[in-house]
Amino acid sequence: MAIRNTIRRLRFDHGEMTQQELADNIGVTRQTVNAIELGKYSPSLEVAFRIAAVFGVPLDQVFQYDLGQAGRHKPKV
Amino acid sequence: MSFREKSAWISLLLLFVLGGIYFGNFARILAGQHALSDLHLFFALIVALIVAEVVLHVAIAIRSPQDARTPRDERERLIDLQATRIAFYVLLVGAFASNGTMHLHLRDSGDRAWLMSHAVLFSMVVAEVVKFGSQIALYRRDA
Repeated sequence: MAIRNTIRRLRFDHGEMTQQELADNIGVTRQTVNAIELGKYSPSLEVAFRIAAVFGVPLDQVFQYDLGQAGRHKPKV
Repeated sequence: MSFREKSAWISLLLLFVLGGIYFGNFARILAGQHALSDLHLFFALIVALIVAEVVLHVAIAIRSPQDARTPRDERERLIDLQATRIAFYVLLVGAFASNGTMHLHLRDSGDRAWLMSHAVLFSMVVAEVVKFGSQIALYRRDA
């Protein structure tokens, strides 16, 4: 998947916050947090912003778009 | 395993078992063997399905109350939509194929209508089985 994230590290940096705690804070299930963390599900912008808000960091510190893996969907810049 | 996945498993297995009982009996009627009245069996199985769904869902909700209380989130709604879309195509093909029963050479039009209604019912059961099966596969893919 072209979108990487640092949620696991951010949880660790915030006192080993559990997936369940993060899920409760952003209003999704623990399984969804797990799927996002493993890069198996890309969340909506709203949930992405909520995750960033929980950790108090900008969105691009949580999610990064990997141009190398984006393949033929690579945007023209 | 999440509450929603357990719920999908329950619905899948119940449909599989109860649908199997109903259409097994229907096959015996078609073969001219001793069988139960399809109408009585149909209503008995509908009641059994509702009771079993309620009892088993209450049982899994008691085991994971927080999970059961949490409303569906965006990923779960997306999985529902994807599974429903797959099942829709199965139902569409099944309903279309059910029209084929109108061309069977049967004694009277009542037999054709009876057979066609069962073909449509079978398509609905298969579509539901595919829906719950797809939900489980999609939940497993993300796990």
